[in-house]
Amino acid sequence: MSSSIVPPARRARNPLITEAGYSLLQRITQHPLAPKWNYEVGDRVIAADLQDVELFRAALRAERSPGSIGPPPRIRDWIRSMHDRVTLFGERLAEGFDLERDWAYVPTMNREDIAVRIDKIVPAGVDLTRMIVYDTSGTTGHAIVVPYHPVTMAQNHPLLEYVLSRYGASPKFDHDHVACFNVGAQASTVVFPMVFSVWKQAGFAKVNLHPRCWAEVEQARQFFEDLAPQFITGDPVGFAEMIRWEIPIRPSAMVSTAVALSAGLKARLEASFGCPVIDYYSSTETGPIAYACPDGRGMCILPHDIYVEIVDAEGFPVTEGERGEIAVTGGRNPYLPLLRYRTGDFGRFEKVPGGEAQPRIFDLEAREAVVFRAADGSAVSPVDIGRILRLYPVVMHELVQRGDGSCDLAIRPPAGAAVDEEEIKRRLETLFGAGSSVHVTIDENLGESGKSRPFRSELT
Amino acid sequence: MTSSEPPVLDRLTHRLTECPAEFLAEPRIAGSGRIHVDAVVSDLLVDLGGQPLTVDEARTFQSASSKDRNLLRLVLVATWLMHDDFFCEARNVAAAVQDWLRGGLAELAALVSADQFVGDPDRREELVRLGLAALGLRPAGETPEQAADRLKTLSSVERAALIRETKAQIERARVLRRKMEEEAAREAAARVTRE
Repeated sequence: MSSSIVPPARRARNPLITEAGYSLLQRITQHPLAPKWNYEVGDRVIAADLQDVELFRAALRAERSPGSIGPPPRIRDWIRSMHDRVTLFGERLAEGFDLERDWAYVPTMNREDIAVRIDKIVPAGVDLTRMIVYDTSGTTGHAIVVPYHPVTMAQNHPLLEYVLSRYGASPKFDHDHVACFNVGAQASTVVFPMVFSVWKQAGFAKVNLHPRCWAEVEQARQFFEDLAPQFITGDPVGFAEMIRWEIPIRPSAMVSTAVALSAGLKARLEASFGCPVIDYYSSTETGPIAYACPDGRGMCILPHDIYVEIVDAEGFPVTEGERGEIAVTGGRNPYLPLLRYRTGDFGRFEKVPGGEAQPRIFDLEAREAVVFRAADGSAVSPVDIGRILRLYPVVMHELVQRGDGSCDLAIRPPAGAAVDEEEIKRRLETLFGAGSSVHVTIDENLGESGKSRPFRSELT
Repeated sequence: MTSSEPPVLDRLTHRLTECPAEFLAEPRIAGSGRIHVDAVVSDLLVDLGGQPLTVDEARTFQSASSKDRNLLRLVLVATWLMHDDFFCEARNVAAAVQDWLRGGLAELAALVSADQFVGDPDRREELVRLGLAALGLRPAGETPEQAADRLKTLSSVERAALIRETKAQIERARVLRRKMEEEAAREAAARVTRE
């Protein structure tokens, strides 16, 4: 396993990288048509993690949840085991609380808990040595920093494999193949090449289909064509750019995340790239939750080890067919045990005749795909706005672009925190370009009246 | 115990308010101070119907270290409490009292000044209840549960544990926040999808 050709900095990021894996990484990195990489990152997976991932991969297929009213026993046992270690659980579950009988009365968690009470959520005694963190995009109104463990991230790979297999896609994972490109189209984002240990050193790259990343469109076309990623992940905005840029590849599948995928775009993508396009429902806090079922009827719950329910404003589970907020309970991330965590996304449960026992999610209303327009008419992504807002202690925000192109931003800072409204205004006006107008206000009650819409456009 | 009447809480706490100055005077430590605590304890045990301290037992109530000052002062206050007629008339509590004075006050002395067990109502009640509990007694009119609950509420040791826990939580939160801001943590790990 040791390899003298692997620089120490790379090995620190990819502890299990092999010589062959490093060669593939170099091939992607130094490809003559590669975009300007601007980030270095690894998978941080160590040998002991591989066994955890393998066990998870096996369990995922063997322990499909049969569906249940209330959380299954193993979830209840897990909550009990966490009760004395997670301050928030201890505060919200009285001693002797009957989880089976009184589940509906268990208080829900939300993004604000993670934003302002993370020290009450990270279990006592947990080893912080390997903690990594992710900033959420802020596209959901609450910019938060989410602690993660590398093995939790690695366990997302089997989940993706499972979904691909449900669509008949079986990528070849080895050091001779590029497994996947993650495609976006943003004014600014990190782009990097990688190889994944859990995929036997198979290649990966995060790329951005934005004109400033490539000398010309043809460069991107040839880069994709030459490296031939076996499947593509990305968001609908990036996928739409793949069509516009006429990227000449035939992947085995495209997996759409982050924002809602419209039926129209899905059909166009399938026609353009000749592969299934899979809507994948995932969030940073929860990890993957569900995926569009191959039979086209709703979204199937994906992980076997989380409990998903749909609740009303008071936290009571709604009846099947009734719309409510999706809440998740589970603990694969050792730094973020979730107890009835409100995702901020809405939908309804429905059992499908002939389908699995567990109901599927229908009419998912997750993050809306909103595109704003800069003063010169070019697109501005909510992700670009989220990146700016992340620089400030903003608990929640709402940005509306009016019909005349001006923007109104309401922000809710944490209690007692000061936010520089003028600086935010200046940064956003720079993003939207010369002549743009952004009005920033502080609203300490933002979001308290129900679900907020973090991004909205009134442009026609 | 020969006394069949349960102890009256108010009477005992009131007794503490009348603690004589001698029992609050400086204990003898390494040649300074004038109260020989071992002698006071020994006299008490005799008054309670027991045996005076042996030379070895007396060493428990002697010290050459100023760190033991508050413990010895607290022992003096406790001996004043135990000189109450209720205990003296009970006649068979000497051994239990000796045990309590020897081992039951150190943790408390590390947390609360001996003066407080005279001047502060809650601490007076705490000391009385601790003494009764050490002898297997409870105040008149209380069930065992009530007595235990009240003692827990008053307990300085319990309160200190809570404070320690809070301090530990604050420290843990600080370590966590610092970890979350580390460059290596923020670099994170590659994700196949964007959430």
